[in-house]
Amino acid sequence: MADISVRMGELATSADPGTVLVSIGLGSCIGLALVDTGARVAGLAHIMLPGPGEHASRPPGTFADTGVAALLAEVLALGARRMRLSATIVGGAQMFGSAGRMQVGARNEEAVRAALRAARLPVVAAETGGGSGRTIRVYLDDVRVTARAAGGSENVLYGGLALPV
Amino acid sequence: MRTNYTEIELDALRELANIGAGTAATSLSGLLGIPIDVSVPTAAALPLADAIDATGPAELCVTGVAIPIDGDLAGSALMLFPEDDVATLCGLLGLEPDSEYAASALGEVVNILCASYLGALGDMTGLQIDLGPPEQVVDMLGAIMGSILAMSAAAGDVALMLDSALIIEGQACSLSFLLIPSADGVDGLLAQLGLG
Repeated sequence: MADISVRMGELATSADPGTVLVSIGLGSCIGLALVDTGARVAGLAHIMLPGPGEHASRPPGTFADTGVAALLAEVLALGARRMRLSATIVGGAQMFGSAGRMQVGARNEEAVRAALRAARLPVVAAETGGGSGRTIRVYLDDVRVTARAAGGSENVLYGGLALPV
Repeated sequence: MRTNYTEIELDALRELANIGAGTAATSLSGLLGIPIDVSVPTAAALPLADAIDATGPAELCVTGVAIPIDGDLAGSALMLFPEDDVATLCGLLGLEPDSEYAASALGEVVNILCASYLGALGDMTGLQIDLGPPEQVVDMLGAIMGSILAMSAAAGDVALMLDSALIIEGQACSLSFLLIPSADGVDGLLAQLGLG
């Protein structure tokens, strides 16, 4: 299977069952997966900051608000149906914890959830917060979303065999 | 907002990094009792995703020690230690890598190096540079760098990274010292050098 790496600020979509969308090493960043298990279309954004993302020179995936909007537009363009889309979010850790430093991870999660609410996209699974980095993978073959914390094992958060019949 | 720096500006920043790292190497040499060499530093202004790739594979498990910087120069100083280098450094300090002292010793080494490096920078530029307490994590390189960049480079389109390697003589161990100033911080540095 071909991995498509989605780096900080980037987003990618696929309808090819041979691909895996992956964001390696999410710290305070959020990996946002939008999937339509019916159409077997998925997208992944690697969001860095809460926003607002009015800076046009930045990749659209950089901020929560522009990232959600851009990812939604791309999965719809690939044939996803809005009614069937669901969101999974991973990341938003607080890796450097001293008081007074920006709580970027928690603010990222809050902003992504708010943008998803505004777009009426349900969050069906999440693995967020804590102090460890994580990797998110979206497998297009059975449209499942997984998370793996540093030094841990890979958990299926949504889709795949866990899909409701 | 700055999205690029001229070669002259990058050269000036490289020279600052060189003097900072030289001072840090002298401190480390005094601490370990062995000679330390300094590589030619790199100064690069990179888009944020490229800045992470430039430090190594995102999935690599490393120990990262970050020191928040404030005052006239805001940003972060960061040292990244692959597992082997943690063991080497602990060996040189006479400590077991997994002992409870190893983590605090590593934090203290980074503290000393940062204080020397940034002290030299402050002396040269007349900027008041305040160091916060070191924070240490063991995690994926990408997660550490992403979190640091999100805090330090929040207002910038590119990350300016000053990277110096301290090479410990006789050991296959080189310590990478990264200074990641905020966009405003870089302008302040350059202004003090007459390049603002």
